[in-house]
Amino acid sequence: MRHDLVQRTTGWERFNHWLLALSFIVLVLTGFGFLYNSLNWLNTIFGGNQLAKEIHKWAGVVFTLSVLFTLGSYLGDSIRFTKEDYQWLSSLGGYLSKTTTEPPQGRLNAGQKLYYLLVVVLTGAVIIITGFILWFAQSTGWLRFGHFLHNLAFVVFVTTVPLHIYLSTAANPGTFRAMTRGTVTRAWVKRHHRKWAKEIGIE
Amino acid sequence: MALSETEKRRLSGVDIQTRKKGVLVRPDLCIGCRGCQTACKEWNKLPGDRTVNRGTYENPPDLTPNLYNKIRFVEVEEGGHLRWLFISQRCMHCTEAGCMKVCPAPGALYRTPEGAVAFNKKKCIGCRFCLAGCPFNIPRYDAEEKISKCHLCADRLAFGLEPACTKTCPTGALTFGDRDELIQMAKASGFEAVYGEKDLGGLGVLYAFKEFPSFYGLPDSPGLPASVAFWKSILKPLALIGLGGAVAAAAAHYITVGPKEPEEGGEE
Repeated sequence: MRHDLVQRTTGWERFNHWLLALSFIVLVLTGFGFLYNSLNWLNTIFGGNQLAKEIHKWAGVVFTLSVLFTLGSYLGDSIRFTKEDYQWLSSLGGYLSKTTTEPPQGRLNAGQKLYYLLVVVLTGAVIIITGFILWFAQSTGWLRFGHFLHNLAFVVFVTTVPLHIYLSTAANPGTFRAMTRGTVTRAWVKRHHRKWAKEIGIE
Repeated sequence: MALSETEKRRLSGVDIQTRKKGVLVRPDLCIGCRGCQTACKEWNKLPGDRTVNRGTYENPPDLTPNLYNKIRFVEVEEGGHLRWLFISQRCMHCTEAGCMKVCPAPGALYRTPEGAVAFNKKKCIGCRFCLAGCPFNIPRYDAEEKISKCHLCADRLAFGLEPACTKTCPTGALTFGDRDELIQMAKASGFEAVYGEKDLGGLGVLYAFKEFPSFYGLPDSPGLPASVAFWKSILKPLALIGLGGAVAAAAAHYITVGPKEPEEGGEE
């Protein structure tokens, strides 16, 4: 490995990330196809509504497993909130101005921790559990409950995932390679995760 | 054979386009003969359901995938006096149909030119969401997991015939006709309010009650289930607004504040 590069993710993490992303994209496209009559053509891509329903269900199973697999990679770091995390949050990660500096962050910054806990774990759990309810429930009460929360979680996902994609690509040059090559530059680590840089001894 | 005025209107399509058809149910005229139940089964070629004797003539106990229209028997004791009442229970053909709102497979449920809510089993994907959307607990699922319910004999209406149930009814408890005429008819007969006149945008099946609707097992003021109404008016638009808003916010951030550029001399 080039001396100026730092290993950011393991091969397993990257594999699982793209498994999650792929199942998510399939679920969202079929989801929009089912939700809006005007977008029903999306389901035509998946072979019509009947097949799209089966694909949506089984992509949901892949999504469920993939979310479970992420727990080992990110849950431990995410539930530990430090004073630097609160600093990061109070300055909104320095995203709203050019002059604010990022408070030193560990391997995951406060935004990543919150995104993981609130979106991936919490909203993920809601959409997964209600997905299985809609798959198997027969009673009107359970179907209404599941239908409502499944759609609520859907709104959260389609609003937050585009932000996740933006923040990990265009908004932070040098970040995306963490999920492709698995490495980032030392300069990137010092810039965005100074506390982590100290922990792994590159500063 | 000369056509009557009504038939001419019907064949010209004017009548169908401008006026919603409906059924007026008069429980006070129903004698519980269940002729409508049988006629419905005959026309729709629905097999009988195997049931057990429950000590009542009401049979089967509830709607099934093979029973689109059923006479519900209501027994009430009032001051030591038994009252035995009958009511036709079936799809109400709501104008604001909850089942159609939640159905994710366009064409599985559809509106006929006469205003009825009909179904196409070939397009139904068996998700059961229509059960969640229906305020009256009407849709049933058959052995192939496809929707089954009253379609107001859409295949008869298309040829200018009235539904099998109303055609059979010997007492006038079920009357088919133009919906607004049925409402006038009920009011002319002395009913102050007609159940379904305004509920859910107007029901296709109207009831002229002498008792409270709940007396017959119907909701007194029917409406879309709260979760379905909230989903339709808030969540559904919010999904598109949220997605569009997130993309727009990202783009706005990129061109105003801009990305976190690498520091000078730093390679990223």
